[in-house]
Amino acid sequence: MATELETPPDPGQVADWELELQKVGIARRMFMARKWYGTDWWFVAISSVMVVAFLVLAAFPQVFAEYDPLEQVGPRLLAPGERPEQEILVVPIEGPISAIADFEVGVRTPVAVAIDTPSSEAARDEAERITDEIAASGGEGRIRLRIQRFETVPEALEAVVAGEAVAAVISSKAYDAVADDFPMLTNSGAVSSAEQDATSFPLGTNQVGQDVLSRLIWGARIAIFIGFSASIASFVIGVPLGLLAGFVGGKTDRAMTLVMDSIYAFPGLILAIAITAVLGPSIFNIIVAIAVLYIPTYYRIVRGQTLQAKEELYVEAARSLGAKSKVILGRYIFPNVIPSVAVIFSVNVADAILTGAGLSFLGLGLPLDIPDWGIDLARGQEFIRSAWWLITFPGLAVMLIVLAFTMMGEGLVEIFNPKLRER
Amino acid sequence: MHPLLTVFLIFGIPAGLALGWVFLRGSESLRRYILTRIAHTVPMVLIQISIVFFVLRVMPGDVVSSTLGPKASDAARENIMEALGLDDPLIVQYFKFLGDVVTFDLGDSFIGARRPITDELGERLPATLELIIPAAIVALGTGLLFGTYAAIRRKRTADYSLRLYSVIVYSMPIFWLGLLLRLVFSVWLDWTPIAGRIDVVTNTTLERTTNLLLVDSIITGNWAAMRSVLHHMILPAMTLGLVLSGVFIRLTRINVIETLQEDYVISARARGIRERVVTYSYALKNAMIPVVTVIGLQVAILLAGAVLTETVFNWPGMGRYLIERISSRDFQAVQSTVAVFALFVAMISLAVDVIYSVLDPRVKY
Repeated sequence: MATELETPPDPGQVADWELELQKVGIARRMFMARKWYGTDWWFVAISSVMVVAFLVLAAFPQVFAEYDPLEQVGPRLLAPGERPEQEILVVPIEGPISAIADFEVGVRTPVAVAIDTPSSEAARDEAERITDEIAASGGEGRIRLRIQRFETVPEALEAVVAGEAVAAVISSKAYDAVADDFPMLTNSGAVSSAEQDATSFPLGTNQVGQDVLSRLIWGARIAIFIGFSASIASFVIGVPLGLLAGFVGGKTDRAMTLVMDSIYAFPGLILAIAITAVLGPSIFNIIVAIAVLYIPTYYRIVRGQTLQAKEELYVEAARSLGAKSKVILGRYIFPNVIPSVAVIFSVNVADAILTGAGLSFLGLGLPLDIPDWGIDLARGQEFIRSAWWLITFPGLAVMLIVLAFTMMGEGLVEIFNPKLRER
Repeated sequence: MHPLLTVFLIFGIPAGLALGWVFLRGSESLRRYILTRIAHTVPMVLIQISIVFFVLRVMPGDVVSSTLGPKASDAARENIMEALGLDDPLIVQYFKFLGDVVTFDLGDSFIGARRPITDELGERLPATLELIIPAAIVALGTGLLFGTYAAIRRKRTADYSLRLYSVIVYSMPIFWLGLLLRLVFSVWLDWTPIAGRIDVVTNTTLERTTNLLLVDSIITGNWAAMRSVLHHMILPAMTLGLVLSGVFIRLTRINVIETLQEDYVISARARGIRERVVTYSYALKNAMIPVVTVIGLQVAILLAGAVLTETVFNWPGMGRYLIERISSRDFQAVQSTVAVFALFVAMISLAVDVIYSVLDPRVKY
């Protein structure tokens, strides 16, 4: 192929435009960068939008989540978009009755139900509610039901057709299955007026009837809280240690680096598992466990940069003018080290969120009453055969949030440090 | 022979041979590099094991009551304290633990049949190995294949899609990928078994020597068992391997792009050698070395991923063991397992480094 024969540019040579980029400020650089590497720009743009979206979700979950994440709000294991099964009132088409409220007060009205279904309870609850309403409005009398139980749904409907019962209470699904056999009957809506406007759940419900979407939205809060807190903690501890080690040098540096390298070389998750196993489940403890893992990340970068910056002329100049070590470290070295740390912060948040999700998936680190993606996944895997949505959406949420922070971080690295850019 | 010993020999023998070669035939600088590398590993492992020890000893939960239950008699409590060595001063306990790790006598576990922890780990470590080795092969295979493809299709759609792919798999929680693969291939398509290492029935026919079931089934010629083991291995290995493949794709891509600019590649092209041959046998071969070396650095990540993968697929490896023992509060086993993890990672990285420093003559120290 002819195009393959083109010689790619020499990687060692810095292009003119890259040198030009060095001359302008950060804001200009971002705008100019767009011209040079389109995909990176789009990576940053798309991921920033995602990051902002997640931050907004995390800040105001109560606005976006329709239900309380810890309350049972619907039937168990309802598939996404599926309407909850309602208990409906089935009545003769020509009849005067269309709801339990239409029943004659004080008379025991015959109602047909199929046995072993929650229908009779639903009917009684509604009758009781209407009775209470009558009492509240100063009226007298009760709605009374005479429940007639039948073996099957068709038998219950036959009873209504034959006039033995005024109405039948059955589940909407059961009625839909046999509705064609009973053209003289009609569905007059949900028994309970409270359930009349019951909506479906966009992402379904879980094994205890909680709304999956609401739990996802609240889960964003905990994921972001853990990610940011752990990263900030590692930053606050790792950066000064790195500055100190790089600046002081000698034996202190070697000893600290050895310890940091030991933690760095350790399989991170396993160390975090050990720490959370010791501390027990709580949000604070999971943050501590994750923060310990990422201290060496900051330490290594800052130490390396400090070693470099220490040799720069401006540091030497400051020292020869009699500046104290504290001033050199704080005013001359720190500001030059910080940009390279700042860009990895975003990637670090992503890593921390991923580790946090892993820990809570293993059942460590978080108390079970917190709406967390990892916990949801761990519990959902028991229902893998019956409820695919329980393991799909929480994981997708973890992936998207990690993707957003990683892409933003990497894009920023490439835009601010064009020399580090992958060819 | 103890299965744990077998496992360490699998890595120990090639590393030992490489070491022997270095000291008989190697150059002065190579020898110095390897000695420094070893000298660096020993204190690191020591520090890691010390961290494990002290972290677990500040445990606020009372080990004794959680082992015995709150109503235990004082005599029983003292017995346990003595058995665990908890009545000794901390520093004595610490050196005892170090001695235990060095001599590989890690004490008895506290639940079930109270077997020696070394024996229990001897069954679990091979399972973990049988997960991470195929996973590493998957990761490396995918990485080399697609990385090269991305390099020759540089800045085209395929390149950008592969770049996106590697960012996405990097962001994927490994346990989620495992669950998804399980959902699709085990539950919906019913192609693969849902969990475990081997069929229950086939398991009874397999004679175990190394506890690496694949090796065992091959040396005993039990082909039914081998098929079952491979069948069970596919999904966990793919899960762990695919998550890591992104890193290898990116690495391969950069390295191939760089080698494609070398003079010998250009002269090969000038001599009219076909592009495919140039790419695969000139560029890829040389680009591979730095990529393969990274495997040594990835061992820690591989093992951390293995803990999660084992949990998803109920794979009876070290990670599963660790989690099980944490939930049953088997303190001795948790401490020993984490220490063995540390030792294991350090040894593999050392072995990989030594072997590659011998194999790759270009590496300068």
